[in-house]
Amino acid sequence: MKEAFFLLVSGDPETWGIVWRSLRFSFFSTLFALLPGIPVGVALGVREWRGRRTLVALLNAFMALPTVVIGLLAYSLISRSGPLGFLDLMYSSGGVVFGQAFLAFPVVASLTQAGLAKLDPRFRETLVTLGAGPWRRLFSTLYETRAVLVAAVVAAFGRVTGEVGVSMMLGGNIRFSTRTMTTAIALDASKGEFERAVSLGVVLLAVAIAVNVALHALAPREAS
Amino acid sequence: MSAAAGNRVPLFRAEGLELRYGRNGRDRNDAGQRVAAFAAERLEIGEGEVVALLGPNGSGKTSLLKALNGLIRPAAGRILFQGEELRASRALRRRSVYLHQSPYILAGSVSYNLYYGAGARGIARREAAAGVAEALSLLGLAGYERRGHRELSGGEAQRVALARALAAGADVLLLDEPTASADAASAALVLAALRARAAAGATIVFSSHDPALAAALATRTLVLEAGAVVADRRE
Repeated sequence: MKEAFFLLVSGDPETWGIVWRSLRFSFFSTLFALLPGIPVGVALGVREWRGRRTLVALLNAFMALPTVVIGLLAYSLISRSGPLGFLDLMYSSGGVVFGQAFLAFPVVASLTQAGLAKLDPRFRETLVTLGAGPWRRLFSTLYETRAVLVAAVVAAFGRVTGEVGVSMMLGGNIRFSTRTMTTAIALDASKGEFERAVSLGVVLLAVAIAVNVALHALAPREAS
Repeated sequence: MSAAAGNRVPLFRAEGLELRYGRNGRDRNDAGQRVAAFAAERLEIGEGEVVALLGPNGSGKTSLLKALNGLIRPAAGRILFQGEELRASRALRRRSVYLHQSPYILAGSVSYNLYYGAGARGIARREAAAGVAEALSLLGLAGYERRGHRELSGGEAQRVALARALAAGADVLLLDEPTASADAASAALVLAALRARAAAGATIVFSSHDPALAAALATRTLVLEAGAVVADRRE
């Protein structure tokens, strides 16, 4: 334990490099998941249409899939022979971010949909009767459900920061390149080198607590 | 039912109207039949009229008010607003507001709610300020500007919703039980505000269980029973 804390306190470049890389991957993958995830969640949440329930069920199923299965799906897309093979993302930071965004997308879309579906029906009628146009209605809906969106961000960030399967399969756990906190912990523990594994575990725990506390503090009081 | 004054185009004109319960009128009763929430062969409401809809629960008051605001689509027939198909009417959205019996106050302050109504109709914030201040004062809400939506009582929420409609410049008010959740003081403020708007030429259609409110405000009373107008009285 002492050695584990020494690695952190002494500012060991490799350990902290892994931490920053992980956070960078998580940040960008969450961002890339939000861009399609929120519009899809809104489209599924605001009104009833044919096929909506099937898509919601599919998203929920994807949310519960093991990360290695998601990794496998993303792998089939970006591998040399896959439809996105020309992007040359395999075993690169881009590959990890792509796979993690793939993992976070159903979380964002599904939580956004669930939050919007719970909106009071009087809310939409109030916007319509006040004369709000479609864009104003959309932004007002997002503003009204901001606590739900914050929760979706937290959940997506948590899901990608803590996953191993996607990073391992698409990133290859390459030292100084695609090694993340979780893949480093898996490798170090398998080698019996627990110092770095424990130090990274402590950072993961701290990140999980800090992100949740920060985002909840940022959320408007009325909506929290 | 009743003709509007003179040859002028009535504000609202319903022809062969049938409204049903449920989304797209799909709800059915125990016998599996679709039920009309409200039906009228012909119904007109003129500009500047103050119409009370009286009747028991389930008589079709809310359905009619929502249909007049385009919030529910008729299962049959049509409604015209100023002679124009209601759902296509831009004037309807600019002029009219429907108020729920228990109004929805947007998450935010009272001030946010009032400016929202004005902003939604394209009134710039600076131009809206006078209307917002007037609406707040008319409904006894001066000093409430920064109060959050969760800090309002039922009666206060009803007054805020009415103030929001007035600040948005609405002069066609469709009100579902406007004093239902109000205490005596709030009800008096709502009544005074509605009288002032009526005197200024606004058209008001409101539902109520309270014949005293109808008598105090309305120039015309429609009595509804089981989805039909059974009496149409002018004061």
